[in-house]
Amino acid sequence: MDTQTLLNQAQELLSPISTDINFPEENRMDIFLTPSALIPAVEKLHSAHWGYLSAITGLDHIPSSQGTSEEREWAHTAEGEEQTGFGYSGSIEVLYHFCNRAAILTLRVQLPYQHTVVPSICQLIPSATLFERELMEMFGVVVENTPNTDHLLLPDDWPAGVYPLRKEFTGFDSFDEGTGDTDDA
Amino acid sequence: MTLNEHPEKFIVPIGPQHPALKEPGHFEFTVDGEIVTDASVRLGFVHRGIEKGTENRNWNQNLYLLERICGICSHVHALAYALGVEKLAKVAVPPRAQAIRILVAELERLHSHMLWLGVAAHEAGFDTLFMYTWRDREIVMDLLESLCGNRVNYSANVLGGVKVDVTDKIRDSILKGIEYLEPRTKMYLDLVTTERTLIGRTRGIGFMTRETAEELGTVGPTARASGLDRDVRIEAPYAAYPDFPVQIVMEEKGDLEARFVVRVKELFESYRLIREVLDKLPEGEISIRVPRRIPEGETISRVEAPRGELFYYIKSNGTEFPERVKVRTPSINNFASVIATAVGHTLADIPMILSGIDPCFSCNDRMVSIRKDGELFTPDWEEIRKYGITYYA
Repeated sequence: MDTQTLLNQAQELLSPISTDINFPEENRMDIFLTPSALIPAVEKLHSAHWGYLSAITGLDHIPSSQGTSEEREWAHTAEGEEQTGFGYSGSIEVLYHFCNRAAILTLRVQLPYQHTVVPSICQLIPSATLFERELMEMFGVVVENTPNTDHLLLPDDWPAGVYPLRKEFTGFDSFDEGTGDTDDA
Repeated sequence: MTLNEHPEKFIVPIGPQHPALKEPGHFEFTVDGEIVTDASVRLGFVHRGIEKGTENRNWNQNLYLLERICGICSHVHALAYALGVEKLAKVAVPPRAQAIRILVAELERLHSHMLWLGVAAHEAGFDTLFMYTWRDREIVMDLLESLCGNRVNYSANVLGGVKVDVTDKIRDSILKGIEYLEPRTKMYLDLVTTERTLIGRTRGIGFMTRETAEELGTVGPTARASGLDRDVRIEAPYAAYPDFPVQIVMEEKGDLEARFVVRVKELFESYRLIREVLDKLPEGEISIRVPRRIPEGETISRVEAPRGELFYYIKSNGTEFPERVKVRTPSINNFASVIATAVGHTLADIPMILSGIDPCFSCNDRMVSIRKDGELFTPDWEEIRKYGITYYA
């Protein structure tokens, strides 16, 4: 099956629940989702045996005075309480990459700093646990109902609330541990 | 810990200093008598914060940083990164450079598979095979050195091409090298399928069905040994692979023996590819200029490392520094298969099952924290550099 057919299949499956669809490259498709649509989307891919989960990437969109186009998009489409208090104050974006032959499908979920919570997809894809552990410790995303919340890569005595892959983390010399937990900031 | 909540469970911690592997990883196996009933993994003992590090280095410096993620498959890391950056910069790399890239990639696969074969044989208690394969691997290492000037981080890639060219002399020495290695590899194939002591440790052990392999997202030879046709070189050919197509090597049995057979047979496929590339090496330039600033955008680059699919997500914000580089190495996908297949086996089989996926810990672990006077601190680049100078002075 060629790449385009595969992407069309996935588009058919997911377009009803996505907020936006984008084709950044010829073999890639981005599906934008609200956090609550993540599980249904993964479920559809999983039951249709569409590819496999190749990786989960976290991205830190730091606050900017204007807000990035993605943030504006998100603010526009966000649901209910999650929108409360959300300006352009920055967000964590979680990318779930699924590969099928040459086709790459990315489910994109945007989370404002105030509420960095996604549901775990381990019930459907058990092997996602390692990626979710990495996402939790590196970006401070709360993954609800994930089977294991232990550190995967960071030391056990790593200070709580310090997330090394967030842009604000620039090493311990300049990092004020007292205000380390940025979730409430 | 879990011990208090479930007093009937008995957990055997293995590692980080490991009886089976020369690299640090920590595993907890819950056992009932000799039989493993549950397994968990803890990595990060060689975590170096390379993903974070990329954000403070320019596009060019990162090539050298990322190459140091792994000492075994350094070339594929640089290759995946270079291909991604070139895609973002929209530059067309000369065909000769792309062919040399896959030549080095296949040489790398040779030494990596031979290294693995030796390690796995050692775990099985078959040290003669270990010494044979590692001696033969030296031939490949010498070839890499003569081609690239270095045994380990050969650094053949630059952004926009390669920096080493294949001269007639080097071509002849590579051909001579694989001519010697081919009959040796035939002997290995015989050994891993007929040698009784080895088969006793591999046949029917660590069995994984095609469905499980598919569900766990297993990649590389581990997947192909379970009859799952996953190979990025074939599914999404990159560099010069569209011109030099790869024949897939698969086994259906899904046990450790099949993983041995797949890797040994892949050596033959690599010999064939290397000969073909050397025979039809395109003429022309070997590199093209890539701008210092990379246009804004994001891309995904996948290559087939010796251990399976290597995944790079690269995002540029239009400056000289990347916004984000995410590296997902094949071993992390394959660990899930260890955790799944370990259950039901005896503890004594665990080292073999572990080495069966050809785990690479450096691959998975990418921040260094140092304990200095009891305080945890993360050194910055300048401090590491100073430390290195005083240490070696």
